[in-house]
Amino acid sequence: MRYAFFPGCTLESAEEELMISTLKVAEALGIELIELKGWTCCGASHIQDVDDFLATSINARNIALGEELGVSKIITVCNTCTLMLRTAKDKLDRNDNLKTRVNESLRGTGMQYKGNTEVTHLLWMLIEEYGLENLRKKVVRPLTGLKVANFYGCHILMPPKIMGFENHRNPQSMEMVAEVLGAESVEFDQRLACCGFHSVFPAEKEVMGLTGMNTLSSKTSGADCLVTPCPLCQMQLDAYQPDAQKGFKEDITMPILHLPQLIGLALGLSPEELAIQRHVVDAIPMLRRSLQLV
Amino acid sequence: MRKIHFKIKRFDGNKEWYQDYQLAYEKGKTILWALTSIREQFDPTLVFTSACRHAICGSCGVKVNGSSYLACKTSLDEVLDTFKTDYLTFEPMGSFEVIKDLAVAWEPKMEKMEKVKPWLIPSVEGDVEGGFIQSEEDFHHIASPTDCILCGICASECNQLAVNDGTYLDPFILNRAYRFAVDSRDGSPEEHIRPVIENELWKCMHCMQCATSCPKGIPLTEQVAFLRQESIRMGEVNNQGAKHAFAFVNDVRTKGRLNETMLPIKTDGLFKTATTKVPFALRMIKKGKINPFHMPKAVEGIKGVQEIYKYAEEVENR
Repeated sequence: MRYAFFPGCTLESAEEELMISTLKVAEALGIELIELKGWTCCGASHIQDVDDFLATSINARNIALGEELGVSKIITVCNTCTLMLRTAKDKLDRNDNLKTRVNESLRGTGMQYKGNTEVTHLLWMLIEEYGLENLRKKVVRPLTGLKVANFYGCHILMPPKIMGFENHRNPQSMEMVAEVLGAESVEFDQRLACCGFHSVFPAEKEVMGLTGMNTLSSKTSGADCLVTPCPLCQMQLDAYQPDAQKGFKEDITMPILHLPQLIGLALGLSPEELAIQRHVVDAIPMLRRSLQLV
Repeated sequence: MRKIHFKIKRFDGNKEWYQDYQLAYEKGKTILWALTSIREQFDPTLVFTSACRHAICGSCGVKVNGSSYLACKTSLDEVLDTFKTDYLTFEPMGSFEVIKDLAVAWEPKMEKMEKVKPWLIPSVEGDVEGGFIQSEEDFHHIASPTDCILCGICASECNQLAVNDGTYLDPFILNRAYRFAVDSRDGSPEEHIRPVIENELWKCMHCMQCATSCPKGIPLTEQVAFLRQESIRMGEVNNQGAKHAFAFVNDVRTKGRLNETMLPIKTDGLFKTATTKVPFALRMIKKGKINPFHMPKAVEGIKGVQEIYKYAEEVENR
């Protein structure tokens, strides 16, 4: 299986462990990921607030880079990158006038947006194309006894007319993957909540409150760790957790894993190979205890 | 016989409790049918609001299993299928003061809405006696926002309102500001937009809940983007939200990718970053998540990226 890979900015810096774990998991599953050469930031849900034509154009270029590779799909591992690329694609495919103007703006890149390559998230690809039964066959260390709180993050679900992989009011993809890996999914109130990352600067107080509510809710439900398919949710819930704790009397401590890290553990990779030691809230003692790792 | 089990949150003005009811399943019914049947068959004290039954009056918003719906427009079968259960929990909409059971108070929301002057401020081209002429194209700009039925579902699902002290404007209020700001007959768009800026416009979390849950399909998040663009055009750029957005715009222009290390400084300024973000930065450096000495190189093809910017500025935004 061969896909174009759009990593997104966080995978090069603060969330580099997601780059490491994604590549390790892809290799173990026999999935070839070809990183797009010269990809740019997707706009991260901010650029359209200044200029929506620009936001569409830079992503038309990103998608065109994938089209040049002649693959059927571009894979992302970030909810917001997925939404931004799919939003641009949706606009371009529905509006010929916009597509003509955007392609005019791409003249200097030597490329054109054609619209023949899909954008998908690793989570969706594993279910739709790789197949959960094939994933199950690769599990060498079932995550038996590990209780996971699946935190979807908004942008992998909404708006459904652009995302639409599953019912946004009651998605099940994360639970399906957790089941295949042998982990137990816990029910918790904040399963479909927002992490608040995109407004953490202008709404710091509110977002810290939300962060604490999110981790505390998973903790109260008995989860050993929270798992998310989005590096921005991960960063908000993990790196800001000590700041969020200041607003709570209760202990809100909760290790936060990236989805590929959870998969990698079941594939037999060590926490260190998956760069889990890079998290602010140390997840390794919990993993050693729950999975009897040495 | 298949039974549907309802757990409804009750409130009598003092205490709250959940009360259980059961109805025999019937195919092809709505959520509002369930509420009406419960009241008629079992409990005349159950309070909820509804009127038109045609998704026009906007009075029957309710939360079912944590998700907000317009009761008259939503099929019970759809909800049972969504949650794969015959057990449903009904609660009043979020971010509203509850009067009784599922009935919520609109007066505080209406008072808040007045801030954006949700009325037409006539332009000099028109007057009460002579009327206003509006082209079909201009009418289409207000057609979608005018579809709002004030059901409050957007507010019930808004993630910012859920944690906000009440200052932030509900999405349906932002929609009113937008609706008059883009109306060709309105002579003073800034009078609608200024209060939006002054009431935490940049706190929208961009979660997409409002646009997703709106029973009328109004693109509320695109309106937030429009209001932010307008605020920038009005010169309101010296705030965290606008500075944060410009940090992305400028990083993509110069390098193609975000410089995460510099982002807090570009958003908050050096002084605030130095005084408030040091513990955060130190823990990130300690875990190797930030390398303060890493300066990203420009991506391959950056000249082409810059040509896109040039086109956007010179042709699109002329």
